[in-house]
Amino acid sequence: MLMCRDLAEIASDYIDGELNGRKNLSVKVHLMMCKDCRTFISNLRASSQLLSAYSSGRADEEFLHRIDERVAEALNARKIKGTDSE
Amino acid sequence: MTDSALQKEQALIEGLKAGTEESYQQAVRTYTPGMLAVARFYLDPSSAEEIVQDCWVTVIDAIHKFEGRSGLKTWLHRIVANRCKNRLRSAQRDVSTDFSEALEPELSDRFNAKGRWSLPPKLQFHDSADTLMENGALSDCLDKHLSALPETQRSALMLYEAHQHRSDAVCNILDVSASNLRVLLHRARQKIFLMVDTFQETGEC
Repeated sequence: MLMCRDLAEIASDYIDGELNGRKNLSVKVHLMMCKDCRTFISNLRASSQLLSAYSSGRADEEFLHRIDERVAEALNARKIKGTDSE
Repeated sequence: MTDSALQKEQALIEGLKAGTEESYQQAVRTYTPGMLAVARFYLDPSSAEEIVQDCWVTVIDAIHKFEGRSGLKTWLHRIVANRCKNRLRSAQRDVSTDFSEALEPELSDRFNAKGRWSLPPKLQFHDSADTLMENGALSDCLDKHLSALPETQRSALMLYEAHQHRSDAVCNILDVSASNLRVLLHRARQKIFLMVDTFQETGEC
């Protein structure tokens, strides 16, 4: 029988639909009987949605400007090279 | 991707091929966060920034060979991953990650010997993700916890959740097996769950 701890170990696979039919069914049966695990799954799913809403790895504006400058330099160098070879 | 998103991406690709600065500025703002997430899977923060800058310069020539077999985002992420792997090979370094445990120790301690909850989740997170994000203190707390995650977990999480890649694309970009990706994602989500659990009960980060 699936215990709460076993369910916690495979909770992300359940949320993402990565479990096979039999395991998926045993999680569903456990969830019907266990309120704490229902709360856990619901909160883990909310944590996952929270991360989707939060776009981290947000690059700071100063870094983006540095990239703009390097790209602009490289684009200009390319144009000059193109003009020279005409 | 919706038709309108596809059209927008196609227009952006044309702009990049034409070499317009505005197109690059737009692409840099759209794709740099994801590229940084990939680079930080492999490298320290400053090397990751360096690689991402170099990649954008590479794109100026490489975009002409882009055939659209994958989306622009996946293509850019692969360029970053390949550069990082080359750098690691030349530095003879390897990426080490522990995939042996499915549960975070802090969560594991919340079960008794019989495998039942001894300390169950305290409250249901009632609010939607967007409402939760409007809470500035929680958003700051999330920031803090995400930056404290091991880079491997953070990058896998960011690519999968925030940048909406499919699992097989994340495995391909980060060069991890499907089963190891599942461990990375699950461990990272548990940490965020534990953070929100504590925050909702105590208001403390």
